This record gives sequence, C-alpha cells and structure tokens, in this order.
Amino acid sequence: MDRTILHVDMDAFFAAVEVLDNPELNGVPVVVGGTGKRGVVASCNYEARLFGVRSAVAMASARRLCPNAVFIDGRYSRYVEVSAKLYELLTTVSPVVERIGLDEAFLDIGGATRLFGAPIEIAARLRESVLEELGLNCSVGVGRSKMIAKLASKAAKPHLTQRGVEVGDGVLVVEDSSERSFLDPLPVSWLWGVGAVTRKRLSELGVKTVGDLAQIPEAILIKEFGSSHGTHLALLSKGIDESPVVASRPPKSIGREVTFAQDSCDIEYLKQRLNVLSAGVSSQLREAGLSASRVSVKVRLADLTFQTRSFTLSTSLDTGPAISAVAQALLDSLPIDRGIRLLGVSTANFSDVERAEQLSLLSMLHDDGVRKVDSSEGEDLQEQAAVLEDGWREIVKAVDAIRAKFGYSAVGNTSTLTGLGLPSTARRDAPWGPSGQDPGD
Amino acid sequence: MKLRSERDSLVEALSVSGRAVGTRTLGSAVLSGVLLETSGNSLTVTGTDLDLTIQVTTEVIGVEDGSCVVPAKVAADVVRSLEPGAVTLSCTEDTVEISAARNNTTLRSFPVVEFPAVGQPGEKILDLPAKSLSEGLRQVTKAASSDDARPLLTGILLTEESGEVRLVATDSYRLAMRDLLETTGSAITSDILVPARALAELQRAPTTGGGDGVVEVFSSSSEITFKYGGLRISTRLLEGKYPDYRQLIPDSYPNELHLGKESLLSALKRVRLLARDNTTPVRLSMRSGGVDLSVVSQEIGDSNETVDGDFSGDEITVAFNPSYLIDGVDAVISDEVIIEAADSGQPATVRGAERDDYRYLLMPVRVS
Repeated sequence: MDRTILHVDMDAFFAAVEVLDNPELNGVPVVVGGTGKRGVVASCNYEARLFGVRSAVAMASARRLCPNAVFIDGRYSRYVEVSAKLYELLTTVSPVVERIGLDEAFLDIGGATRLFGAPIEIAARLRESVLEELGLNCSVGVGRSKMIAKLASKAAKPHLTQRGVEVGDGVLVVEDSSERSFLDPLPVSWLWGVGAVTRKRLSELGVKTVGDLAQIPEAILIKEFGSSHGTHLALLSKGIDESPVVASRPPKSIGREVTFAQDSCDIEYLKQRLNVLSAGVSSQLREAGLSASRVSVKVRLADLTFQTRSFTLSTSLDTGPAISAVAQALLDSLPIDRGIRLLGVSTANFSDVERAEQLSLLSMLHDDGVRKVDSSEGEDLQEQAAVLEDGWREIVKAVDAIRAKFGYSAVGNTSTLTGLGLPSTARRDAPWGPSGQDPGD
Repeated sequence: MKLRSERDSLVEALSVSGRAVGTRTLGSAVLSGVLLETSGNSLTVTGTDLDLTIQVTTEVIGVEDGSCVVPAKVAADVVRSLEPGAVTLSCTEDTVEISAARNNTTLRSFPVVEFPAVGQPGEKILDLPAKSLSEGLRQVTKAASSDDARPLLTGILLTEESGEVRLVATDSYRLAMRDLLETTGSAITSDILVPARALAELQRAPTTGGGDGVVEVFSSSSEITFKYGGLRISTRLLEGKYPDYRQLIPDSYPNELHLGKESLLSALKRVRLLARDNTTPVRLSMRSGGVDLSVVSQEIGDSNETVDGDFSGDEITVAFNPSYLIDGVDAVISDEVIIEAADSGQPATVRGAERDDYRYLLMPVRVS
C-alpha cells in the first residue's frame, strides 16, 4: 500500500520566533545568529532575504548586504521551547513523528487519514493550529514519500520575486497522479544529494530539471556518477524514495560547545570554560533524570580540523565538577598548543536503564582500532571522578532546588564564574558562533 | 486454454508459485500475476519478481492447450474458497473464468506476451538429498540477516567442506552452519551465495518437507535453480565476498555445559516472557550441576529458572539475546545440547551431543 507522508517546515523559524516575541520587529529585516566577528547567520526573515541574506553566510557579509537589519543573538533555549510545543502538537496528528532539527518534521499519516480525513484536510488543519497555538507560519507538504513531501512543502513556501515576497500556498498535497507534473519542472538542485558538483555535471548532460533527469536512462547515470549515486539519482527523478519515517527517540548524548572569538591556547582559561560547559551539561542531564558514563571533549584546531577524545567510566556522572575533571584530563591529551577555536564537552552512555549491547561476531574479523587511555592513568581518573561525584551529589540537589525557584544564574560554582558573573542559562545558547559580548572576546 | 482440476492441487500450484510474486508493484502490472500453461494433462504455473521465480507443475485434466496470466493473489483466494471438488478454469483473450459447483467467477487477465520468459536452468552441478537439505535449511535460514542494508548477509552460503556441501548463514550476531552428507554430483567448486528468501521457499514447499528423493541443483554464473518433483525455484545469486567465517570458529573451549534439549528450550521460553524487547538479555550462570537462567526487566519484573546438567570448566556468567539462543537450541537435532563458552566477550557455540554436522556460533550481549 502506498504511504502518506507529511512534511512540516517552519518558515524562517528562529527569525519568526524573534518577531513573535518582539512584535515591533514585524516587517523589519531580522537576522539571527552569532553577532560577533566570526558568527554565522542561523536564520533570517523574508524581509532580510530580499537583500540577499541567507542562512549559513558569515554575519559580516550579512551586515554588508543589509546594514539596516536588526541583528539578534540567537536564543537557542527559546527555540527549543517553541520546538517542543510544535512536537507536542505534531504527535496529536500521528504517533510517528520524525524530527529534523528544531523546525522540521516528517509525519507518517497513513493511519491518521482514517481518523482525521483526507490528507489535504489534515495538512490544512495542522497549518492552522500551528498558527493559532504557536503564532508561527509553517509550510506543509504531503506525498507518498519523504522526498515528495519535502519538495511539496518547499514549493508551498513563500518565495522571493522581483516585486517582493510572494505568499506561498502554505499547503501542497501531491497526489500520485500529479506527481510527474509536479516533479518535472523542479530544478534538479532541489533533489537530495544534488550539490554543486552533481548539478554542474548534470548541466553538462543538458539536465536542468527533474523532468530532464527522469529522461536519462539509469545506465548512463550509473556510468556518469557510479552505481550507488547514479541509482539514487534515477530513483529520485522517478519520485521513488522508500525511506521510512522513523519516530524520534530521546537523545543519545547531551553536550555543549563554545566557539571563541579569538583562538585560545591559554590552558587555564580553557579549563575554566570546561567548568562552565560541564556545569551546563550536568544540569541538563539532571533535568532529564540521566547520568552518563562516557565523557568526550571536542576541539577545533586553528587549521579547522576537529579532534575528539573520549573516556568511559565504570560509574556514571551527573555533577559538573566530576564531568569537568574528566574533560580536563582529556583536554591535556589534545594537541592544543597552537590554539583552538572551538571547545565542546559531551556525555553519553546514559544509565537510566541497564545497557545491553549485542556484540558482533563479524567485527572480530577486523582490527578494533579504538585508542585506549593508558590503563593506570585511566584508573586514577576514574577514582578522581568518583570522589568528586560523591562529594557534589548532595550539593547539586540543593543547587537545583535554588535554581528552580530563583533561576539558573542565582547560584553556581565559583569555578564557572566569568568576568560577567555566572552563565545566565543552562542551555547552550549560541551553536552558530560567538556573540559580540562573549566574555572571551 | 481450458482445464479441470481438483481444487486442492490447483490451490497449491497457485499459492506456491504466487509466493514469488512481489508485494511491491514497482514493476509492470503483469508481474502481479502468475502464468498458467497447459499442455496435455500437465499444468505449469509460474510466478516471478524477476529475482526469484517459482514454477509448479501439476497434473490436471487438460481440455484445451494454451496459456494465460491471472492475478496471483485473487485467483488463489478464489480457488481456495471454493467447495472441495472439481474446478474448471477457462480463458478467453482477456479474461479467465473459474467455475465450481454453482459459483462462477470471471477475472481480468494480463496479456501473456508481457510475462517475462523463464530461461533455461544452467548446468547441473549437484544432487542433494531432499530430507537433509530441508532439515539443514530449517537449521540455518533463521540466522541469515533480513537487513537489506547488508545484502551479502541476507544470503545463505553454499560452500565446500571436506568434499561435502556446507550451508552457512549469519546476521553478524550469530552464525549457523550445517554440513550436508550424502551429496552426489560434482562438488561445489566455488562458493555460491543464494538469497535466503529463495531457500526459505524451497524449505517450506510442501513437497520437500521431509520427503525422500533428491533435489537437483543447476547453476550458471548468475543464477541457481533447484528442481524437486514438480517444483522449480530459480533465483539470482548474490554477488560479493562472504565474510571469512572459518576464522571465527574457536579451536577449543575451556567451559562446556551439557543439557537436555527440551528442558533447556522450555525453560528459555518461560524466562523470555519477561524480556521487554530484543535488548533484554538472558543471563546464563554456568556452574557444576547445571545452569541458572535469569531475565530481569526493570518495568516488568524478573524470571529465574535452573536447568540441571553437566558442566566442566570455571564458573562463568554470559548473557545472550534470548531469541537468538532459542533459535540455536531449537535447531539442534539431538536430545542433548552442548553449550561451549570462553568468556562473556567471546562467541559461544551451541551444538548437539550426538551429531557434529550442525554448529551455531552466538555472540554474547555485553551488560553494563
């Protein structure tokens, strides 16, 4: 039986949330992201897009393109909050909701059509309730595959024309019978896995639209792009995409990272940042009722490469000082003398349930290339973390109670103090880069 | 084309060949049908999804030679639902009429010319005794992977071992192998990797279920064909290098546990009831005098049972996926089962005490 899949995509999500919270921004170009020197644009509204601003461009070029825009430091925690409400709303339509980032989701509504009527009605009603309950616009696409649904929501979005922003349909249902006429005129770059390189080679073959691509025999595509990519292109051009909607699960890891306005190799400063990051991670762990037995530290070096070190303990941790102790030991083993531009701490292997891992027979055929921390060093670290964890366990309970009443910045460890006082929130607030006020600036 | 047949033999021909018909209708519509060909008193029914082809030849009362393509599922359902007795089947250019007693059903048929031609089988390479092939397939097919992301592991390997044929299947968590004795014909010169789905059809075909006689095996470079009585199954072979499974088989084990098969199996099935899902393991604490089985599920509760037996070695506790372990024990053809284990991170072996033609390697579950 053919599936019915719905894709919902919030319109200019972060920027729209900012406008929602500050109604005077309505109609003004709004750019959200890291407002510091190295920040990037995370989101911008359609007014800003008219000036050529796009997400993922450097904040500096956005300022050049649209000097009159309002530039806002992203408030990640606020977006997470709105996204959670969206997710809640979506699960009332179908139990099978696959979240993609904060602002997109796929829903399998095969079962919902019996309860709630035709796909077009479900889609229209969903769009209406998102507007009513969240005050935000979204675009909804429906088709028999994830690919068609996603293309449909994209086609339903507001678009830029020479006259300005043109309101989209908001909802587009692509019936099986009209799939071909929907796909044919779309530019090939809309398809998954068609990036700049593939697009260039396709254009050399005279392929501009999906319809053009569908005319090319699969054998030629395989010859041109190799068997896996070629087959993939052939299937997509025919609208075939069997990938299932996989219901989202609770997180497998919780982490936090910070990008510095200037590369840093100051070990004391970096260790202090680890304290701050670990405090944030630990409080999120406790909020979720989890504790973790694996700690990882990630750095981005001056040459832009990433390096990661991890350590697995035989016990599990949920206090900041214990997590930070492990993170600091890991940092010592990283080549940071030439400075790093990004530092991150993450935790995994949550112990809310007993972990059972089915071992693989065939992996015994290959060399297991996992680098192990020197065992005596490892034992010391294990011991140190366990002592800290024991010592802080009662204190963090009191800290959590105070924070629940007076807010996150009411209390904290002196080791997490910055020049600007205690970090203001437990959430990682700027995954897209530093703000102009970053204390490290 | 026109024929008369007993309902039951017609149902069998339609439903067995219909199992090759794909549920996906990506291809042309004609592939949702089965081809019926009558010549004299012989009816051949063919179903295919282009990878797998199943053909059943059965005896009927032929009235008029000819052929037609009928929709596989609905035709089988209609004939199956008729009262027992004689069924008449006759075709016009684009319909087929099924009549029995006072029922009369007319189905639209597909154009015969559009049905893909079934090729000749390759060269004959082997005769396999039907009984031990069917038995061996029952023992190994469950260990094959059903994950299309790892296509090689969805196959069953036919390989040569000491001049006999060995069947091997693994989904990377367990590996089952069975040696088929008394095979005749030229031996297998290079490994053949057959989709497990095709062999499962061969195993479940009623005519091979423990029957006597031999299954003839034909093979070309890309296809293998099995013929047994009126049944012919052809499938495209899987291509690629199968994992070097021989490296995985330990030479010897320090710990060996002997248990009665039935008591172990029923105890495992009882404790498994408490497993929340596939991630809940069963712990086996092996000690002199037998083994303690234990399943603990946080939300549900726990279940423990002791099975008496003989143990030699050091006391050891190993955890397994209960369903995988049950598959392995169930496949043993012997009253006494031997479980051999090294430690909680190494593969264990399950085999029968009286026969050494079957072995099941199972990787433990690591609990932390």
